[in-house]
This record gives sequence, structure tokens and C-alpha cells, in this order.
Amino acid sequence: MFAETVLLAFLSIRRNKMRSFLTLLGIVIGVAAVIAMITIGAGTTTKVKQDIGKLGSNLLIVRSGTPPSPGQSGTPARAMTDREARALKNGLPDARSVAAQSQKAMTVVFGTESIVAQVVGADADYFDARDWVMSTGRPFGEAEERSGLSLCAIGETVRKQFFGGDDGLGANIRVGKTPCRVIGVLEAKGTSSFGQDQDATVIMPLTAFQRRISGSSDVDTIFVAGGEGGVMADLQNAAEDILRDVRHVRPTEDDDFNVRDMTQIADAMASTTKVMSGMLGAVAAVSLLVGGIGIMNIMLVSVTERTREIGIRLAIGAQERHILVQFLVEATVLSALGGVAGVGLGLFLSWLASYFTGIPFEPDISTVALAVGFSAVIGMVFGFFPALRGARLDPIDALRHE
Amino acid sequence: MTAPLIAFDKVWKTYGEGEARVDALAGVDFSISPGEFVAIMGPSGSGKSTAMNIIGCLDTPTGGVYRFAGVDAGRLDRGRRAILRNLYIGFVFQGYNLLPRTTAIENVELPLVYRGVPARKRRELAYAALAQVGLQGREDHTPAELSGGQQQRVAIARAIVSTPMLLLADEPTGNLDTQRSHEIMELLQTLNRERGLTIAMVTHEADIAGFASRTVRFVDGHVASDSALSEAA
Repeated sequence: MFAETVLLAFLSIRRNKMRSFLTLLGIVIGVAAVIAMITIGAGTTTKVKQDIGKLGSNLLIVRSGTPPSPGQSGTPARAMTDREARALKNGLPDARSVAAQSQKAMTVVFGTESIVAQVVGADADYFDARDWVMSTGRPFGEAEERSGLSLCAIGETVRKQFFGGDDGLGANIRVGKTPCRVIGVLEAKGTSSFGQDQDATVIMPLTAFQRRISGSSDVDTIFVAGGEGGVMADLQNAAEDILRDVRHVRPTEDDDFNVRDMTQIADAMASTTKVMSGMLGAVAAVSLLVGGIGIMNIMLVSVTERTREIGIRLAIGAQERHILVQFLVEATVLSALGGVAGVGLGLFLSWLASYFTGIPFEPDISTVALAVGFSAVIGMVFGFFPALRGARLDPIDALRHE
Repeated sequence: MTAPLIAFDKVWKTYGEGEARVDALAGVDFSISPGEFVAIMGPSGSGKSTAMNIIGCLDTPTGGVYRFAGVDAGRLDRGRRAILRNLYIGFVFQGYNLLPRTTAIENVELPLVYRGVPARKRRELAYAALAQVGLQGREDHTPAELSGGQQQRVAIARAIVSTPMLLLADEPTGNLDTQRSHEIMELLQTLNRERGLTIAMVTHEADIAGFASRTVRFVDGHVASDSALSEAA
């Protein structure tokens, strides 16, 4: 009996192809939107985590200024200098490496070619702290850094622009007005989650950068890489104590610098994207609700249109529940079909999005099941009222209906 | 005398209240015995359709008692009346009332679906019923592919497939020409004579009523004449 009712529902849906299709469309779009939003959202979260992981794990980032709080950027404060970097280096024996860094976007020139690159002045430890690996050549050492020699390691994008198939080692490029000898090429890291090409970079010794390019001994950022098995929170507290001391922050004053853990930032960003995709999913769910109202509308039309049929069925002995179940199943089948089609469309859209943006494609079975189930429930809920109306019809009136 | 299949005991059917009050049936007494073929006649508004609806358990009286096979059908709820209709009453309507875009065989099977008869058995019974009304070979035609006379035959097959105690026909020939009408009436006569099927039929055509063995005439909510009574007298 139930199988027959489902079959009957399919027949009735097929009989009114155009109307069924238009009704389905509401559910299809709703489910597709939910699926696409959640799938793309999950992919984005993963991507953000991966990217931040690329910046280096177990990494503390030290900057001047109070830490930014939600909705407010930090208050600027005295810039940091080599002094802070030295103090951290000496005071944190547990750290794997401590590296100071200053940077500036500049035009870099070789021969007739030029490119705008992030020019970074850094300690020798910087390569280790930021997980930069050389593909050819070598990084500069500590002695070279201190001597103020104008050497540099170039990113893959810069190398390709200037030297094509060649490694470019030993060539003299010009950073602004400063000539600089290439001693190494960095392995490619790709685009960051902020859409920045991380390989359009030139890394030179901090001393040389401060003397010849920035003209000050200021340092933008100090990176502290944690050692194996060390507790990042302890390292962070130690670093904060040292900095308060070096920067003469009085006990009653707030920090005029901030130390942030990279994993914290990663988690914060991941949860932000999660909230965003959740909200988009909720908006999409509203469209699913609208689709449900569409189903109710069409089922009411269907009941009215088939009043006579209902009358015949009632006259020859159908019970109220037979009629109720018949229309309920029809509405449920209709919206479940829409749900399945919507899942297909939604997955296709998110696959498309991942294909063009490089966000990982992460379909989630439970989301898919939930969306199909939810759409079926929507059909049931919104189909109930019209079905009940059909079932409660008076057979005499229904038979007289034209 | 056998117990009547249909028994009206001072049946009233009143619509509206006060000034707008209309008595469709005003204390009707009459009965139909098993095996009878009764034509119910009368002008429109005479109450014959209301009587028909009550006989068919589609409607309930507002006063008096209506018994179907001894059961006080007027006191049954909607669901029980549906079961009664499904098991014991077959309906034939003026407008055939077949399900559109549904084959003849499926239309005939319909009452059995609601009775919970298994699919195979249903098909068997439906084939037999269609054969009985002379529609072999037309099982897979939809109503749109059948003539009016053939559609009415499908409707009759649907009415008898469940071997009911009573066949109710509401102007069964109203949409047919004279020749087809007579063919349908002969079919009903055959069913009445050969299977002993009790038939109650509403009509306003005297020649159609002539096929019945008894004529009950309604006027203004009363039984104005009953051929069974006048013969006895």
C-alpha cells in the first residue's frame, strides 16, 4: 500500500511536469545554496588553517602597539628596535630561533626587468623562524648579516621574472637604489589566504636594510620560534616579561606591544570563517523555507484542482487518512526530489568554486544527508495543511465540484 | 417477507435555520428489499438526490432513522460510513467520475485498493468485472480514449468489482444518447436479474425508469407515489 502511494505520487508529479518542476526549483535553489555555502565554507576554513600553518607553526609574533581587540585596531606605540630582538634572543634559551624583521614594498630592478616585491630585512634566523627553505644557493649567515653586506635571497616569482630558467645566483639586482648580490633562491610558498603572492619577495640582511633602505634601526616584527616540545604559553609569558623590562613598561601600565601565538591567530581566523559560512548557510536556509511555502501553495492548488478526484475516492470508500497520506507523500516526494537535485547542484557549484579559487573541495556526507532530510521534512510540514484540507472535504460537495 | 436492505423511518433532512430553513426530506418512509431494481424519480428539488446521498451513506439524516442492512447508518461517523460504502455499496454517476489519465483497469481496481486487496488479486477481479460489462481488450485505455457509453461501463465495472450489496446509480444515462442509454440499462437489468444485485437509480426519464421493476416518485420531500404500493392495493 505504501509503495503504491509513493508510485502514485511519482505519477502525479510526472503528470504535471512543468508545475512540479517550478515547485521543485524553490527547494532545489534553497538546498543548493545551503550545500554550496557550507561546503565552500568548510573548504575556506581548511584553506585558512593550511595557509597560516605555512607561515610557520609554533611561532610567536611580536609587534609594537597594544594588541588589537575586536572592532578596534591596536594603539600605535614606540617602534621596536634591535634592542628588543637582542633581549629576546638572550632571554629565551628555549626558543629555537628569534628573528627580527623589517619590510617595505619596493620596486626591484634587474637589467630591463622590474617587479614590485616585499623587501624584507631580516636576521639570519629569519629563514628558520619562518620556515623558508632554499631551493638553490644559501641563506646569509650571522656574520654576513652583522657586517652589513648587501646580499639577498630572492623568491621564486622574482627569480622567474628576472632570470627565467636560470637560478640567477651571483647576479647583482637593484633594490631601490641599492645594489644587492643574489646568493640564494627561496622555495615557492604560493599565495597566502589574503591573496598575496608570498614569493614576490627579496630577503636581505637586516643591518643592510636598516642602513641603506629604511634609514632607521626600527624593527617591524620579531618572530620567536618555539623549540621542540616547548609550551608556547610559557614562551609567550617569558617573552612578555622580557619586553616589559626592556621597554620600561611600568607595572601599572598596559603592554605597549603585543605577542601573539600563530596557532591562536589560525584558530581565530578559522572560527571567523566558520561563523561567516554558518551565517551564509542560515540565510540560505531561509530560501529553503520560501521553497517550502512554494510547495504548500502548489499542493493547495493541486488539492483544489483534484477536488473531484478526491470526491470519487471518498465516495468509493477511501478513508480520510488515505487522502491525507496520498497528498502528504506527494509533497514529501516532491521536496525530497528537490533536495536531491539541490544537493547535486550545490556540490557542483562548490566544486566549481574550488576549481577556480583553489579552495579545497570538502563535501560533507552529514550535511548532504541533513539537507535532503530537511527538505523532505519541509515537504511534509508544508504539505500537511493542504493534504488535511483535501482529506476533510465533503464527498458530496467534492463530487459536485467542476 | 425478507428484511429490507434500505429502510427509511420518518427521515428528515433539513438545511438552514429559521426563515432560510428548507426541508429537503420531510419525514420520508420507504424501504427497498434485497434484489429489487428501484427507480427514484421526481422533479429537481423534490429531495430525490438528498435521499440518494443518504442511501449511499454519503450524507446523514437530521431526523428519523436510516438503516442500511439493519445498521443505523445515520449514526455512524465519517470513517465508518466510508468503510460501509467501500464494502457494500457501488456507485455509478451521471458524469462517470472516472479518474482522468488513469487506465480502465486501474479505475476499476480503486475500491479494492482501499479495501487492502493484494495487487495480483485486484487485477484478477478487475479483469473479470470489465469482462462482465463487455470491455475486454479495453483494460489499458484511459477515459479520454473511451466513448461515453464505454466510460459508463468502466464505472459500472468499478461499482460491481467489490461485489456490493447495493448499486447506486445517479442518472446513469444522463450524458448518453438513447441507444447507449438502453444498452447501459440492459446491462443493469442483467446484473439485477443474474446476480440478484439490488439497484437504486435516480432518473427523470420515464423510459429509463421503465427498466426498473419499481418506481418511487418524490415530490416536495415526500414520497408521492410508489409503484410497489399501488400494485399491492
